[in-house]
Amino acid sequence: MSQLKNITGVEALIDSLLEEHIDTIFGYPGGQVLPIYDGLYKVSDRLTHVLARHEQGAVHAAQGYARATGKVGVCIATSGPGATNLITGITDAMIDSTPLVCITGQVPAGLLGSDAFQEADIISMTMPVTKWNFQVTSAAEIPTAIAKAFYIAKSGRPGPVLIDITKNAQVETTDFEYVPCTGIRSYIVKPPLNTDLTGLAVDMINRAERPLIVFGQGVKLSGAESLLIDFAEKGNIPMASTLMGLSCVPSDHPLYMGMLGMHGNVAPNVLTQEADVLIAIGMRFSDRVTGDLKTYAKQAKVIHIDIDPSEINKNVRVQVGIHADVSDALNEMIPGLVRAGREEWFAKFRQKFEEEYGSVIERDVEPTGEALTMGEVVRNIARRVDGRAVVVTDVGQQQMIAARYSYFRSTRSFITSGGLGTMGYGLPAAVGAKVGVPDRQVVLYTGDGGFQMTLQEMGTMMQYGIGVKIVVLNNEFLGMVRQWQQLFFGRRYSHTEMKNPDFVGIARAYGIPGRRVQTREELEAAIGEMFADDGAYLLEVAVEKEGNVFPMVPAGASISDLLFNE
Amino acid sequence: MENKEYIISVFSENQTGVLNRITAVFLRRKINIESLKVSETSIKGISMFTIVASTTEETVGHVVRHIEKIVDVIRAEYQTADEMITQEIALYKIDSSILKNGKLDLVTRKYNARIVEANREYTVVEMTGYRKETEAFRDELEELGLLMQYTRSGTVALHRDSMEETLNGLRSSAGE
Ligand SMILES: Cc1ncc(C[n+]2csc(CCOP(=O)(O)OP(=O)(O)O)c2C)c(N)n1
Repeated sequence: MSQLKNITGVEALIDSLLEEHIDTIFGYPGGQVLPIYDGLYKVSDRLTHVLARHEQGAVHAAQGYARATGKVGVCIATSGPGATNLITGITDAMIDSTPLVCITGQVPAGLLGSDAFQEADIISMTMPVTKWNFQVTSAAEIPTAIAKAFYIAKSGRPGPVLIDITKNAQVETTDFEYVPCTGIRSYIVKPPLNTDLTGLAVDMINRAERPLIVFGQGVKLSGAESLLIDFAEKGNIPMASTLMGLSCVPSDHPLYMGMLGMHGNVAPNVLTQEADVLIAIGMRFSDRVTGDLKTYAKQAKVIHIDIDPSEINKNVRVQVGIHADVSDALNEMIPGLVRAGREEWFAKFRQKFEEEYGSVIERDVEPTGEALTMGEVVRNIARRVDGRAVVVTDVGQQQMIAARYSYFRSTRSFITSGGLGTMGYGLPAAVGAKVGVPDRQVVLYTGDGGFQMTLQEMGTMMQYGIGVKIVVLNNEFLGMVRQWQQLFFGRRYSHTEMKNPDFVGIARAYGIPGRRVQTREELEAAIGEMFADDGAYLLEVAVEKEGNVFPMVPAGASISDLLFNE
Repeated sequence: MENKEYIISVFSENQTGVLNRITAVFLRRKINIESLKVSETSIKGISMFTIVASTTEETVGHVVRHIEKIVDVIRAEYQTADEMITQEIALYKIDSSILKNGKLDLVTRKYNARIVEANREYTVVEMTGYRKETEAFRDELEELGLLMQYTRSGTVALHRDSMEETLNGLRSSAGE
């Protein structure tokens, strides 16, 4: 706890950030944050500011940073257009439970409501997409607001918080005392564990013949990765991940059965419909995971562990709803679990995997046709980095293929926009991830569409020497939309074909070396070149124009009604 | 599931923005709020919102759990109208000819309403009761062609049970 007399609001803000052990922020300056930027100038030895090329880039970078490190991501923008440019990222962070503190400048308090230059009511605009937001109108409020912001962003179910600071509050003086926030009476962070319910759940699992664990990002957020593995091993229970849960469990773990959902693996999807007990851990039964709810896991007794009580019974009716931090619940339950053989049950997973291998995986990762596939590129790179890279994706086909064919050895190795599906997320998120974990390899998969939404962030990479490996999987289409048009709209490719620029040329203009490849022979060499040093690289791969992602659960269909081909 | 009228009670810190966050939960599901009342509770710094809306039991459950997620909200719950003691206050601006045409009985006896203000032109009458009653009075005045203006408060509600516990809990957390 530090105390200072008569300092400016900006100094109070910066000291508060330092008290929260923040060393990196992403941002973009402007009129109503000029005093803050002046303050940052003076502490540049202790607080690194990364200048993005667009506020959307700054907020996605803060998200990527948070997801890679587990820390709170911080970004800063000016009032008006600077603030509104953050909204997509804030919305994305809300639905994907990413801890963020966004700081925006605001016109002086005396001008609020006057339509002053660059005044925007960002508090009202971000109300439904923030976990909490607050407008600071005097310097004295700053330390408490910042302390509360960090506490709320990272505790309970994490999420984005926005603090709007009027210009007068930045420049006026105040006495400063920093007291970290440790609790808010109206906000319950850690519910007490109901051991009757965990006991009931353990009994249910011990009596189960065909249990299945379905886990999500809540496991990462709770830091419960190794507990989850202990849990599965103790009871000898197969487990499957949602898109957001990927990399919590090493891909080669014998009990890991793959990914759930619309483009997930056959075995966990189809066998969800045969499980007698479904154990949902830190996941939210998104419609992309359940398909048609009326037919989802009807035969199963469902146990659901989540820190957010509003998730329990929201989409799927459960027999046992455990409102708890995943770590607490697993810790309590592990000792009671009894190991069972379940040979037949595991045999089913193997059989379904073989089916999927024969019908989809083989042709994706070892194609015999002339055109390159996204699958073979992802598999090649995964082998090359030996599952040790942080894989970041944009949105679309390349996202699903990256999720399907990458493999992982450690947690926080897969970063993607899951709930919102934000095109343009990939590159800036990869930038933020690389800033957060500079010693890890960061590989971005992006499409020719999504890359063009935020490719200006190559400027940020250039300025700070951020060594992201960019892989543009170019099918000259808005591929995922084209796939739906092909399958469900009679092949009418309405406005999805793209005439693209010379991506390698653009990268070169930003000082980033790269190569475009069109053949299998070139691919190997280019991947070698990409990883030859630690610097940034852009690899553009011309892939099959009309390749599709299978298997696929069509929207609204039952999770076991999979499409395997056109 | 059929739609029913629910009374949602929310206890929160008295902070700017909480009302917007609460109404946004309804807006997001396109539920129309029929009446809304905000007031201080007997505990300083804690507000109570009483919101009346028609929806299904399942949805009102989701709504309440979402409201409870709001950082400044201490507790939210829902009840059907018959589980609570509810009253509304209505004010009626009536043509003052009522004072002469022999219909005054209607006001004072049948509806037990009270005259608040009277002048040559108009008379303002107040009535407290269930919404059914305040509305019946309004309809009757309208039929007689006497009603000039009408307004009513949101539902003012007290719980038939359990609420004392909640309030005591709040009081102790407020350090009283
Ligand atoms: C901001 C935004 N706009 C539109 C969409 C709808 N959308 C989803 S996938 C997709 C196509 C993506 O195409 P591309 O980036 O080329 O990737 P591909 O699917 O070909 O891998 C579109 C337009 C979206 N998810 N996000």
